Amino acid sequence: MTNTIDRRRLLATAVLGGAGIVGATALGSLVPEAAFAADPVDVEPGAVDPNFAEGRITGISGATLFVTGSDTVLHSIRVTDGTSIWKLQPTTFDRIAVGDGLYARGLRLADGTLAADAIWVDIVNVHAHLTNLGRNVMHLDHRGQPIVAHVIPGVTAAVYNGTPAVSDVSLLKVGQHVQVIGAWHPDTNEIDVATVYAAVQ
Amino acid sequence: MLQFIAALQPLVIGAVLIWSARVKLSRRQAAANASRSALAPLIGERRALPAYRVLGVVELAIGILLVLPPALAVEAAAATALAAGFTAYLYYAHTHAPDASCGCMSSRRTPVSWRGFARAGLLVVAGLFATLVPAGWPHAFATNAPAGGGLLLAELALVITLSPELDGEWLLPLRRLRARLTHPLTGGTGVPLLSTVQQLQQSPAYRQVASALTSDVREHWDEGEWRFVSQSARYRGRPAVAVFAAPLDGYQPEAVRVAVLDDATGVTVFASGSAADPPFRAYAGG
Amino acid sequence: MVAISGEVSWFCCGNAWGPCGSAGHGACGTCNSGSLQHAWPNVSAACESITDPSACGLSLTRRACGFKHFTTNRCNGSKVGTTIADCGPNTHLFCGERTCCGSTCGTNRIVDLTPAAYSKIASLSTGLRPCSVDTS
Repeated sequence: MTNTIDRRRLLATAVLGGAGIVGATALGSLVPEAAFAADPVDVEPGAVDPNFAEGRITGISGATLFVTGSDTVLHSIRVTDGTSIWKLQPTTFDRIAVGDGLYARGLRLADGTLAADAIWVDIVNVHAHLTNLGRNVMHLDHRGQPIVAHVIPGVTAAVYNGTPAVSDVSLLKVGQHVQVIGAWHPDTNEIDVATVYAAVQ
Repeated sequence: MLQFIAALQPLVIGAVLIWSARVKLSRRQAAANASRSALAPLIGERRALPAYRVLGVVELAIGILLVLPPALAVEAAAATALAAGFTAYLYYAHTHAPDASCGCMSSRRTPVSWRGFARAGLLVVAGLFATLVPAGWPHAFATNAPAGGGLLLAELALVITLSPELDGEWLLPLRRLRARLTHPLTGGTGVPLLSTVQQLQQSPAYRQVASALTSDVREHWDEGEWRFVSQSARYRGRPAVAVFAAPLDGYQPEAVRVAVLDDATGVTVFASGSAADPPFRAYAGG
Repeated sequence: MVAISGEVSWFCCGNAWGPCGSAGHGACGTCNSGSLQHAWPNVSAACESITDPSACGLSLTRRACGFKHFTTNRCNGSKVGTTIADCGPNTHLFCGERTCCGSTCGTNRIVDLTPAAYSKIASLSTGLRPCSVDTS
């Protein structure tokens, strides 16, 4: 499944086709819950989770990211075809750069490497007050620190009062409290907005 | 001229002190304000509220003395000392408890900023002026009421401008008006990816495979009336890919479909909506 | 304790990168983004005065730092155990906000998880999920 167009055609046919599903009947006796059950990995509440890594990328070699955590612990994170990569939106490995911050969840291997299932690059979740609006820019006050949040047409979505996301962000009002999921511009106080959650009357 | 300006300073300082005292002596908010301010790390949690209230009483007393004639240099000197001491407190708060609220002119949580310093500095200068050139405000108003009133309003406006706690009363409404007139957020059109993700996470199809998903969205694409979203999954211990199809036209979680394919072979191991689909009870707790 | 329903989000702590750089180690002094921890709206009287869950009609039991809660993502049934390491979320700022999965909904923000904990039960990019919180 290497060619993108062929791969997408295969996936689309599988989900919309419904017919000619090879192997499903052979596995039909197996209750889906058991087939899909994830291996339970118990980590003590409060403890550092070995299957998670956070920090800043200090090097990239092949498909491995070298990350220094905020606690100065070093991580090697292996990225595969199955790893989802988020940087403002789902994206590809080539968009990752040295200096990016990240959170990664996966499986810690015997050699200490983290085989990543999901990587979120530069993701921030900011609770702030909206202090001013500029052309496709929201000025936020986050615990007394200013953050400049850029609205990206075609990407930025708004969720008002918990309803389905829309691309219309014009209902936001100066002075209100918002929650913003976004992608941080490294070493600045600027972010690109993926989603803004707000209450509107 | 100097005397005219100096005569009005006690009114400005007095008004600020009385307003500030009002916040400190208000029963409802005082406890919360005191604990959120830098007083707690400075003198201890237990002493913060009593000290806060005592400060409020002192501010009220000096404020009233300043506002009521006659204008005595000692009153202005006391106000100047208070303002200078307050500037020192702001410096402590800014360096040792940057997250702490000022606790000054409103119960709104407001960390110390350059505007707070500027306001305190303004009060120190006003106080020094009034101390060195004592003059009564009733005489100043009798001499030239419009000028006196104008200067008083201008100074109070300056104090308000330097008070972040009061931004909600004037600055934010102004900005809201400007936004209403200029519509600065144009954003985009179309269906955001998050809307599709919300749709599929609300769908029966998602609940059939949710416990098997191992990643966030890997890729997504639109084709015709459908948006396809793929995520990694595990099926019987083997890497797999789950692909969802959600309708682009309208929000219909029930119409979302899912298929799971073995990553290595491309064989479909599960698909929702097929006749072979066994009845499925979702996770406990719905 | 009877399980409480509401919404769960995530937050960072521990002097990490980005806007988290000034976050510190939370109200309990032990919070780290890579640990299975959470913020609770009623860790102390001072905390409760900030988060003010009663403004949304919620009454949450006061729990000390280190107390164990278990949060379930009601969209997929997955569950994570965490200990209290900070004060939050600011419940009163989002009173009445509702997040749903099918007919399952959560109203009001009652718990914030660290990225390590949240990513165990949901994707960080979602930001907000309906949840239930229990002590076992």
